[in-house]
Amino acid sequence: MAAHLSYGRVNLNVLREAVRRELREFLDKCAGSKAIVWDEYLTGPFGLIAQYSLLKEHEVEKMFTLKGNRLPAADVKNIIFFVRPRLELMDIIAENVLSEDRRGPTRDFHILFVPRRSLLCEQRLKDLGVLGSFIHREEYSLDLIPFDGDLLSMESEGAFKECYLEGDQTSLYHAAKGLMTLQALYGTIPQIFGKGECARVRTGCFVVQVANMMIRMKREFTGSQNSIFPVFDNLLLLDRNVDLLTPLATQLTYEGLIDEIYGIQNSYVKLPPEKFAPKKQGDGGKDLPTEAKKLQLNSAEELYAEIRDKNFNAVGSVLSKKAKIISAAFEERHNAKTVGEIKQFVSQLPHMQAARGSLANHTSIAELIKDVTTSEDFFDKLTVEQEFMSGIDTDKVNNYIEDCIAQKHSLIKVLRLVCLQSVCNSGLKQKVLDYYKREILQTYGYEHILTLHNLEKAGLLKPQTGGRNNYPTIRKTLRLWMDDVNEQNPTDISYVYSGYAPLSVRLAQLLSRPGWRSIEEVLRILPGPHFEERQPLPTGLQKKRQPGENRVTLIFFLGGVTFAEIAALRFLSQLEDGGTEYVIATTKLMNGTSWIEALMEKPF
Amino acid sequence: MDCYTANWNPLGDSAFYRKYELYSMDWDLKEELRDCLVAAAPYGGPIGLQSAPSCWTVLCQDRVAHILLAVGPDLYLLDHAACSAVTPPGLAPGVSSFLQMAVSFTYRHLALFTDTGYIWMGTASLKEKLCEFNCNIRAPPKQMVWCSRPRSKERAVVVAWERRLMVVGDAPESIQFVLDEDSYLVPELDGVRIFSRSTHEFLHEVPAASEEIFKIASMAPGALLLEAQKEYEKESQKADEYLREIQELGQLTQAVQQCIEAAGHEHQPDMQKSLLRAASFGKCFLDRFPPDSFVHMCQDLRVLNAVRDYHIGIPLTYSQYKQLTIQVLLDRLVLRRLYPLAIQICEYLRLPEVQGVSRILAHWACYKVQQKDVSDEDVARAINQKLGDTPGVSYSDIAARAYGCGRTELAIKLLEYEPRSGEQVPLLLKMKRSKLALSKAIESGDTDLVFTVLLHLKNELNRGDFFMTLRNQPMALSLYRQFCKHQELETLKDLYNQDDNHQELGSFHIRASYAAEERIEGRVAALQTAADAFYKAKNEFAAKATEDQMRLLRLQRRLEDELGGQFLDLSLHDTVTTLILGGHNKRAEQLARDFRIPDKRLWWLKLTALADLEDWEELEKFSKSKKSPIGYLPFVEICMKQHNKYEAKKYASRVGPEQKVKALLLVGDVAQAADVAIEHRNEAELSLVLSHCTGATDGATADKIQRARAQAQKK
Repeated sequence: MAAHLSYGRVNLNVLREAVRRELREFLDKCAGSKAIVWDEYLTGPFGLIAQYSLLKEHEVEKMFTLKGNRLPAADVKNIIFFVRPRLELMDIIAENVLSEDRRGPTRDFHILFVPRRSLLCEQRLKDLGVLGSFIHREEYSLDLIPFDGDLLSMESEGAFKECYLEGDQTSLYHAAKGLMTLQALYGTIPQIFGKGECARVRTGCFVVQVANMMIRMKREFTGSQNSIFPVFDNLLLLDRNVDLLTPLATQLTYEGLIDEIYGIQNSYVKLPPEKFAPKKQGDGGKDLPTEAKKLQLNSAEELYAEIRDKNFNAVGSVLSKKAKIISAAFEERHNAKTVGEIKQFVSQLPHMQAARGSLANHTSIAELIKDVTTSEDFFDKLTVEQEFMSGIDTDKVNNYIEDCIAQKHSLIKVLRLVCLQSVCNSGLKQKVLDYYKREILQTYGYEHILTLHNLEKAGLLKPQTGGRNNYPTIRKTLRLWMDDVNEQNPTDISYVYSGYAPLSVRLAQLLSRPGWRSIEEVLRILPGPHFEERQPLPTGLQKKRQPGENRVTLIFFLGGVTFAEIAALRFLSQLEDGGTEYVIATTKLMNGTSWIEALMEKPF
Repeated sequence: MDCYTANWNPLGDSAFYRKYELYSMDWDLKEELRDCLVAAAPYGGPIGLQSAPSCWTVLCQDRVAHILLAVGPDLYLLDHAACSAVTPPGLAPGVSSFLQMAVSFTYRHLALFTDTGYIWMGTASLKEKLCEFNCNIRAPPKQMVWCSRPRSKERAVVVAWERRLMVVGDAPESIQFVLDEDSYLVPELDGVRIFSRSTHEFLHEVPAASEEIFKIASMAPGALLLEAQKEYEKESQKADEYLREIQELGQLTQAVQQCIEAAGHEHQPDMQKSLLRAASFGKCFLDRFPPDSFVHMCQDLRVLNAVRDYHIGIPLTYSQYKQLTIQVLLDRLVLRRLYPLAIQICEYLRLPEVQGVSRILAHWACYKVQQKDVSDEDVARAINQKLGDTPGVSYSDIAARAYGCGRTELAIKLLEYEPRSGEQVPLLLKMKRSKLALSKAIESGDTDLVFTVLLHLKNELNRGDFFMTLRNQPMALSLYRQFCKHQELETLKDLYNQDDNHQELGSFHIRASYAAEERIEGRVAALQTAADAFYKAKNEFAAKATEDQMRLLRLQRRLEDELGGQFLDLSLHDTVTTLILGGHNKRAEQLARDFRIPDKRLWWLKLTALADLEDWEELEKFSKSKKSPIGYLPFVEICMKQHNKYEAKKYASRVGPEQKVKALLLVGDVAQAADVAIEHRNEAELSLVLSHCTGATDGATADKIQRARAQAQKK
């Protein structure tokens, strides 16, 4: 069912099975028929862990979305609330429970906090007089959810905003807990590296904090000495704040573009249905489907695994090659003469048909994307982005951005570009910054001043201080801009942005070889300290590497990661002489649009 | 050794009973034992004395307790609901009263002693008789208990009178002992303990393995092996003969097993040793004898000998020990505060720390905190020295105990050593050390914990003190701000005020102007407060922008009054657009001037608005008003967007040379585009035009371009 999780270097299905077991154990505690009331935000991530069939096996008969007032009628013995520990949700639950009590026959109420039980919430339930109504109040520590064979995410939307704007480090605590769970299943990670920002709120450094929390927690858990042979060699903790640039640029890998244009949610994408209409003769396109086409995207689909991380310009040729192979395979039937041959052909049919379906889907998606990428505006936007990233004209007001504002293009698009320019210039000249801000407020409305404040607070938009632009130094030392990029057969990670090599991934690459000592200077310019920490292992568990055996590095992006960065890391993993394979973890899978959107504030 | 069986007494043909001394008892009793009710726990448990006896027994069947009561010649069985008369099957006639009754250790068997000196033994269900015996002593016995061993078929009861002890079973004869002193019987799982003023003895059926080995002239393999080993020590060749004899019968394994098992049942270390030596000797001649049983027996016996030592005084037999388990034995040692011995045992048996050493140390520490005469400082240090970072030790449990004894300071000191904040914090709160709890919660990174302490503090302190506390804890402060943002907006304002955080105050009032205020005056007033705050924060830009917004709001209000329609909360840009769309061009111009809208954007704005109106005339006028700062391509584009090719063509001619080709292509004039491109000699433009050439219609143009290209190449 989730076989694709076990194909990677590290079998992440072990984690999935562990969390499924935990879920089943909880469900079995509430004997009898059940209805689950869902905090809507959780349904997506839960879908990756357990389908409805699992719940049904454990007598879950009804599912509702958490809403105020009364619960819908359901003839069940147990009502279980699956919720995040948030005060506003507790108020709704209390409302539900109280109106249910008035209704008559009593049911058993239970509450499952995801991912952490909260004293604060329980206090609120107590104040509302319903705490006693719950028989089981437990937590389900679903921190890191396996998305693919090499990818884990906490899907915590607000992580970056909470940390940087609000000084709320709850998500860091959850991240540390998630890492502890991983270590319990995959062994202690002997070496921890990190690079991250020192927070303004004097709470210390976020990345260091996660590392410290891990070490603290380790002390707490020492009762059971971890005797699992370590699977990971290193852990690299990267704060999104170290690399604010990468997510702002438009991703140019296949998966990255799907995400940029349509948005991938919990590995699903919703696409306009027209292109996917079944082509039947004589139908004349009478009833085109109106509901969006929903597709799951992960490495379980062979073709997708092959093309997802390619530069979009290299996808077309793969698709046409595949098309030829598949039609050739279908042509084989004419060659099948003997009964045996026909039988063999028929046995391969299901696989071939699946491949053909998959090819048809991706051809349609590629067409949809191509419509966008070949548009003049896309080209203009990309040109401006690339100019900024290669350091051209980053210090004055940009014509294209001006025109976008004047024509009232989407605000997020404008903000992405302005922030990109600011980051590529180590902040904008006060005059330029004020001009952009004024233009934005006049055009899109004064209320966006709150959003602008947020962006400034997060460091995405700022005045240049000290009159120095550090970006060129960083760009040159880390070779962030590569002129001779090969999109078809890449030789460097810069192919994922057709020229720009994501800073975060470059840092990871340089860490594995030749080591960070070679770039001390640049590391000092980048925000936040860098550090290295060892977790001693008992002698029996120390690893003796076979010659030619790759290291496995768990790289944790605190504050989110983009699909293009993931693609770049996968590219590094596959390099023959790379020496390191990566497993990627993050607080949220994101892109520039969803990132900026999360930082926006609308007062009405 | 020859007289080792001297204290063995046969009972019937198949069983022997023996009694040996556990301790000589030297307690200085004030009362005679006869005046006491004696309570003693099995498994070598302690002995308690109390006065006044009584006469009935408790039966237990299928987890239900019954009481068996004897009144004269009748027996009654009572349970929670009923009382029924019962008659034991096969009871001899002539009974006029029952003097004693005894239930076996397992509650399976019952023995009754009658005034005729007759003893009935049967099942506790009173359904079956096992045997009977007539001892011809009519005097009421002082005590009667069962003496049996698990898995043995033999059943016997021990009856005690003042000076006489009798073992009675399914045999015509009984064993009799003389009691020198007042004695008491304690039934055990596998025998009976007998103690008096000066002695403590154990009476039990000799276990099968011991019997096989030690029975006089026994030829059992174990017996031969023991003999062989003895001869071997004497360096006698007989050793070989004995060994051969066992081996020929193929019974060496059995012999070794017998010796090991028998060793477990012996009380004397010397005898245990000789049996184990024999087993060890026999093992040498076996290829594959699994070592576990031997090793475990050695270990168990060491533990047993240690606790049997009279300093400790827990006379457990091997069977009792196995039944009891090491965990329970350790608990008993801990309860008797025999910590060092318990720890030694754990270390010797290599028990996992969490079940073993840690647990004992934690108990020790809990005891230690109750020593009131030792200073907090010393107790804490002593505990930490011993416990260190031992895994599985809960310092918070120990601290809770200390707090329970009223030693708060000690508890706080101990909590310092607790690594789990989740455990630290609640106890600190309970002890009213909220500020310490707060810093511990912050250290942990667990925000929920921090919130819990914060809400606690909020109720505990007055507002001023609470805010001061927050001020020194930035992380807590930002969390509390978060809380206020959703729950108590007014408090949030106070917090910003306290910190002189004018920037955030400004934002706060902006939010208020949208969310809290309905009337325009209120909104403007809120914005004024925001602007003031921004000035204080030295954020000139925000202050000015806010003032502009106030101006705009008032203006929009006036526009709504004068012109009707919806203007409030439109952006400046949209306000101007709306005015143009409504035909109020003058007002639009005025607004643009007042708010200094840059020329370029204003041109875009007008262009878009006029095209939306499809007011082509006005658009043309506008385009001619002065030279366009945005060029004329946008004019072409926007006309084409409205599908007005005719208008678009008007502007195409005015597009500057750089964008001319593009403009011409937009209006579909491929031929002219080709001419311009050829004139420009621009390769990119040429390809662009070429890509727009379709089929037959543009055939000529395409040829033209190809020719121009060829020509360019020649040059």
